[in-house]
Amino acid sequence: MTVLILTSEEDVTGDMVVSELHASGAPVVRLDPADLPGKAVLSAHYAHGDFDGHLSVNGQVLSMGGLRSVWVRRPGEPAAHAAHRSPWLTAETRQALYGMLFSSSARWMNHPRNAELARLKPWQLRTAHLSGFAIPPTVFTTSPRLAREFADEHRDVVVKSASGPPPGDPALALPTTLIGPDADFSAVAAGPALLQRYIRKRADIRLTAVGTQLFAARKRARPGQVDGRYGDTGHGWEAVAVPERIRKSVHQYTDLAGLAYAAFDFAEDGEGVWWFLECNQGGQFGFVELATGQPIAQAVAQWLTCLTGGGR
Amino acid sequence: MRPFTLKYVFPQRLPTVVTPYRFDARRQLNVLPDGRPAVSDRALLLAAGTTTSTAGSKTHFDD
Repeated sequence: MTVLILTSEEDVTGDMVVSELHASGAPVVRLDPADLPGKAVLSAHYAHGDFDGHLSVNGQVLSMGGLRSVWVRRPGEPAAHAAHRSPWLTAETRQALYGMLFSSSARWMNHPRNAELARLKPWQLRTAHLSGFAIPPTVFTTSPRLAREFADEHRDVVVKSASGPPPGDPALALPTTLIGPDADFSAVAAGPALLQRYIRKRADIRLTAVGTQLFAARKRARPGQVDGRYGDTGHGWEAVAVPERIRKSVHQYTDLAGLAYAAFDFAEDGEGVWWFLECNQGGQFGFVELATGQPIAQAVAQWLTCLTGGGR
Repeated sequence: MRPFTLKYVFPQRLPTVVTPYRFDARRQLNVLPDGRPAVSDRALLLAAGTTTSTAGSKTHFDD
């Protein structure tokens, strides 16, 4: 039974899991949907009262009947590398590829249906609430008046993007940013603004959930630091134990969301409370593993080969 | 009118990183010039920043 990894060629975090699969002797096929059609070939058959399908790429051939699991890591857009790419060709190729894969009985990390829902920030906050996490007061609004009232009530407020920075050339950054008390909120009417009470944190926490296995890492923050992804704090990531209450909430969250993999971000305040900030269903783990030595890639490989890790 | 959130955007100077590895289709992973898997050189991966939480592409914002 074969593991299928959907990711780009340059994804070295994907390499970490491929290496683990090679070491365990598990068959693996790595495909970037961008290479279909072209470098990769696909065929799905509905004939003789039965379904079967095949994928081949780089000399590897995969039958849907022999597909154990699919890891959706960093796939390109279907047909993105095609000689005559177009939105229509991407749509057709998406139909062929994902329609065929969804027709198999493979387990998914993560199923695209669940991943799509799990990307939505307001849904994340609702699910986090149901899971028992501490959540900073938050508003996502197009009303300048409500934005002003929120800022007046909570005083120290950050603004963040729900979908990341806009694409641009040169590349753009849009870190979570503390807004001043005199901010003019009139432009909130021009686009939804996600505002959240600022948590004075003493550390950032990245918790990676792989099935039922949890790996938490902690990085001390600078005084007044807002977004730990930008700038050097002078501190590195270190492994940290997962409090039992957090463990229960994480399992509750991944159960509700139907996620086999999730990377949670928390802000640890001065009293040691872990405040839920977001859950990235496709979050990076390479930097955590490299810094802490936590065997996350091995856990992913084990989950994909069904050796451990629960059935999410 | 420009959306409020975009007041806080700024150009990001991406460092020019020349990664000394290439994808090996047969082994299905990136390898160094001497044939070792790129992931065997952890110092290199940390320096290249290709595994960090800001390394996502435009199609993958949820790092």
